[in-house]
Amino acid sequence: MTALARHRRLSAAWASGPGWKGWFSTVNHSDVGRMFLVTAFFYFLVGGILAMLIRAQLATPHSAFAGPGIYSQIFTMHGTIMMFLFAIPAIEGMAIYLLPKMLGTRDLAYPRLTAYGYWCYFFGGAMLLVSLLFGIAPDGGWFMYPPLTGRIHSPGINTDFWLIGITFVEISAICAAVEFTVSILKYRAPGMSLARMPIFAWYMLVVSLMILTGFPPLILGSILLELERAFGMPFFQVELGGDSLLWQHLFWLFGHPEVYIIFLPAAGVVSTVLPVMASTTLIGYRWVVAAAVALAILSFGLWVHHMFTTGIPHMGLAFFSAASTLVAVPTAVQVFAWIGTMWKGTPRLHLPMLHILGFFVTFVIGGLTGVMVAVVPFDWQVHDTAFVTAHLHYVLFGGFVFPILAGIYYWLPLASGRRRFFRLGNVAFALIFIGFHVTFLAMHWVGLMGQRRRISTYAPEDGWTAINLISSVGGFVLAFGLVIVLIEIVLHLVVPRRSRRNPWGAGTLEWAVPMPPPAYNFASLPRVTSREPLADDPDLGVRLARGEGYLGDARGGLRETLMVDIATGEPEQHVVYPANTRLPLVMAAVTGVFFLSLLLKLYWLTPLALAGVAVLGWRWVWQLGSDTDLGCQPVGHGLALASASETDRPPGWWGSAFLLVANATLFGSLLFGYAFLWTVAPGWPPAAFMEPSLLVLVAAPAGAALAVAGIALAVRRNRIGGDPTAALLAALAGALCLAGAFALLLAGAPHPTGHAYGATLWVLGCYGLVHALLVALMLAFLLARQRAGYVSRSRRAELAIVPVWTGYLAVVTALILAAVYLPGFAA
Amino acid sequence: MLDPAGPAAHSIARLWWVMLIGSTAIFALVMLLLALAWRPARAGATEAAAERTWIMGLGLAFPVAVLLVLLGYGLWLGERLLPRAGPDVARVAAVARQWSWTFSYDEAPGRTTDGVLHIPAGRPVDVAITTRDVIHSFWVPRLAGKLDAIPGHVNVLRIEADTPGSYAGLSAEFSGHGYEDHSFTVIAHAPDDWQAFLEDGQ
Amino acid sequence: MSDLLRILVSPAAWLACFSAIYGLSGIVCAAGPGAAVADGSGPRMVLVIAFLLAVLLQVGLLALVWSARFGAEPGLVRVVSRISAVTGLVATVWTLFPVLAASACL
Repeated sequence: MTALARHRRLSAAWASGPGWKGWFSTVNHSDVGRMFLVTAFFYFLVGGILAMLIRAQLATPHSAFAGPGIYSQIFTMHGTIMMFLFAIPAIEGMAIYLLPKMLGTRDLAYPRLTAYGYWCYFFGGAMLLVSLLFGIAPDGGWFMYPPLTGRIHSPGINTDFWLIGITFVEISAICAAVEFTVSILKYRAPGMSLARMPIFAWYMLVVSLMILTGFPPLILGSILLELERAFGMPFFQVELGGDSLLWQHLFWLFGHPEVYIIFLPAAGVVSTVLPVMASTTLIGYRWVVAAAVALAILSFGLWVHHMFTTGIPHMGLAFFSAASTLVAVPTAVQVFAWIGTMWKGTPRLHLPMLHILGFFVTFVIGGLTGVMVAVVPFDWQVHDTAFVTAHLHYVLFGGFVFPILAGIYYWLPLASGRRRFFRLGNVAFALIFIGFHVTFLAMHWVGLMGQRRRISTYAPEDGWTAINLISSVGGFVLAFGLVIVLIEIVLHLVVPRRSRRNPWGAGTLEWAVPMPPPAYNFASLPRVTSREPLADDPDLGVRLARGEGYLGDARGGLRETLMVDIATGEPEQHVVYPANTRLPLVMAAVTGVFFLSLLLKLYWLTPLALAGVAVLGWRWVWQLGSDTDLGCQPVGHGLALASASETDRPPGWWGSAFLLVANATLFGSLLFGYAFLWTVAPGWPPAAFMEPSLLVLVAAPAGAALAVAGIALAVRRNRIGGDPTAALLAALAGALCLAGAFALLLAGAPHPTGHAYGATLWVLGCYGLVHALLVALMLAFLLARQRAGYVSRSRRAELAIVPVWTGYLAVVTALILAAVYLPGFAA
Repeated sequence: MLDPAGPAAHSIARLWWVMLIGSTAIFALVMLLLALAWRPARAGATEAAAERTWIMGLGLAFPVAVLLVLLGYGLWLGERLLPRAGPDVARVAAVARQWSWTFSYDEAPGRTTDGVLHIPAGRPVDVAITTRDVIHSFWVPRLAGKLDAIPGHVNVLRIEADTPGSYAGLSAEFSGHGYEDHSFTVIAHAPDDWQAFLEDGQ
Repeated sequence: MSDLLRILVSPAAWLACFSAIYGLSGIVCAAGPGAAVADGSGPRMVLVIAFLLAVLLQVGLLALVWSARFGAEPGLVRVVSRISAVTGLVATVWTLFPVLAASACL
């Protein structure tokens, strides 16, 4: 087979549908990655316009440009959009686009999930955009502190848009995080051991694990606040046993890791691009990996430094002040590793390098002011002033926007196959760099002079007029520079001027892909023997196109790839991906109906939407697998591997495991909230504790035990060739019994609107009920698959996934029962 | 806060100037190292030597040393600014609401003032801060740092003015559309005036 | 997965101990105003003992990660896991030493 014939056959299997209609059904990572990036940069534009409005408002004293009401919406939405609708999705888009190419594989682990994540982002973002257009946008600040955002002080729908829209958008972050984690660990080129992984993949692995554990606290907080607003469950109302500080803890438990979730991928870009720009390799690769891990975990111990002024005792502040200074150490390790890399090589001043220099200047200043605000007494002064606004822009613009622009200019030739024609980029960089520093250096100073954040006007006698005007002028210069970047990218895509392959002389695998990349990335998968395969063998791309790697024969119009062992990267399983489908779009739309029903308080629609999601989810999983035994599949080089559906650790098992990490964090945050209210909120203990119910105490453990034992027995029966039906039925009965027990528990609980205690019990009970029903649905699905002939002695993968969920359910049941009943026993 | 008029604000302003000078020096060092990367070709160090210099030395040892000193300074200073009990501490209470402040005085029970907090100059004052509705923050930039007013909690902030005079106070936590005008005034009295103020209302 | 565990265990244990001791300091103060202000008092001792236990745990993990039996094979993971283990120990001492010095309830 010639390379061209192979290309045609692979394209037939992998290409998305023709024309714009293809966007709705594509599940290909290159397509979805680009869709993410385009949408994210659209929101960057919207957020940027809002920033310009803020600067226009603050340019002069007593400005009548926008009243305080509109101004609150503007700054709330500026922060919200930049964080949730620009930064995180831009990272997702970039990683979705690049990771499979860098890892030497053909797609991410769950192509339909990629698309579902995108559509959730699309619809959730649209919700917020609509609120902005109609002037009913959230206006409580991007941090949404109750009680200001509670029902009494914010009766309008504005806050609901935030809580519901952002939760919807966060689904896409969780999806992407599960996907990246599994893809990086299990979907790599043969031979790519952990030590041979591109550094960007390490960063993204760390970031994905952070998203899985960092986002759930905010999702929980949003759920609780929305429950308070919609149904009067008083989690944050102090007079009914709640505490507004609980929100701050949950928000910053998310909010601080979030900053590093944004910074670390950008650091990954720097670690990738900078060595290429210096024609060398990164020094201290293993130290940089260790620094990224350390930074990630340390960043979870910093959240209280956003709360230094809330009256926490000095010892508590000292813990977090110490942790906040410590986090500068792994950051310094990375910065000096990069500078050392430049010393080692011979740096060239291409456009990506210019932006990396911009990053160094800006981010180092941001890091230094960050250490300043980590010092408690100084923070007491500058907290909630423009100084902090300036600091965070130095960190986020310096630590994110500059590296992302470097990355865009670096990878643009790969994505388009073209060279830059108009040399606008250097002018744009100069404008951005100068504009940025003028804007935000000035802002530091005016903050030190006492200008608070989020004020819409100030008086001439405050003496801030000149500084604010300078800051505004700088802001508009910055915006102008960014517009030129946009123009240049559009021109780049319009003017055809072919680029040669691997124009920067990089060593990583994404440059072995044809330019622009075909939908399947690699005509055959490479065997990797070092960290820079392309540096060892510059003709690798040609050899792969000739089919000299794995899976080069493009069999049967299937989307094939390999799963590998985590540590060694040796091939383990043969995976066939699902093809184009509109299911993700429809599923996201129905998920959107669920969120919309909550937003508009059309509660009759909510169960219908949930049922719709369940039906579509059923279909989603049903499309996978096979009704005949496939046996081992030849993958090239004389190797034959088991199909994913005929293993004990199929892709779904890995996905479930990491999804449950996020889920467990959500549950853990709920238990934390319970303990926090108990010890800190003034209105505790409640008037009476719930009396333990004997029936629940018998039925719940019995049901959980039956479910766990039933599914274990089913797996064993199937393994020895027996019929698992009876055991599955028993497990189903167990799950339903458990669901009944949770319903009983809820029926006997104190009214959820009377006291935060009752409200917390109600959420705990519902959490258990939902999970019991979910496991029941999975068991019913297994029974249906078994009857339809999708399960056999060798096709055991689906049976292997459900025990993970039943086991989780059993653990959660025990914890819920303890949390609900132990206080009653003790009393 | 750059124009301090009380002991807490003085020491925080000094902290700022120390940190500004230190940061500028560190920033200059990093920029210098960055610029030197552009020197023409030079003899390459080995990977191990580069790791020792750049990572062990500059990446680990250097920031650890600087940060330990700074952390120690910050904690020592923080301890000194805490509202510890003392013989001449005056105690007042501040209650915030959207968008006003009400102050009361332990030394003059029953006496309240709206929008103006009277304190004795030259004596430490502990302000017990709380709120009737949403979260606010009590901040007199020239006297001390800020502390939040949280529903259901009472936070105590130590402030002190060196000399009699009038000082602007602000609420520094976003609280809705009246936020920017949510301010108050602190008037520090000389001992005689303070006595007169206390007796005035009785 | 065991490689990931080797890398993550020490810093994750730091995070758990750090949060737990922060929570403990809150509970100690909630028990009574001024309970832990005086040095050498009972509540302060509780915090100090918790701190020492956390340090001990980190030393144990460090020994495990360094050991031939539970440590990683030579290569990247071994180096990274050892750096992580030291990070966990340093972070525990660095971030929790205020139990020895700072005012617990002011």
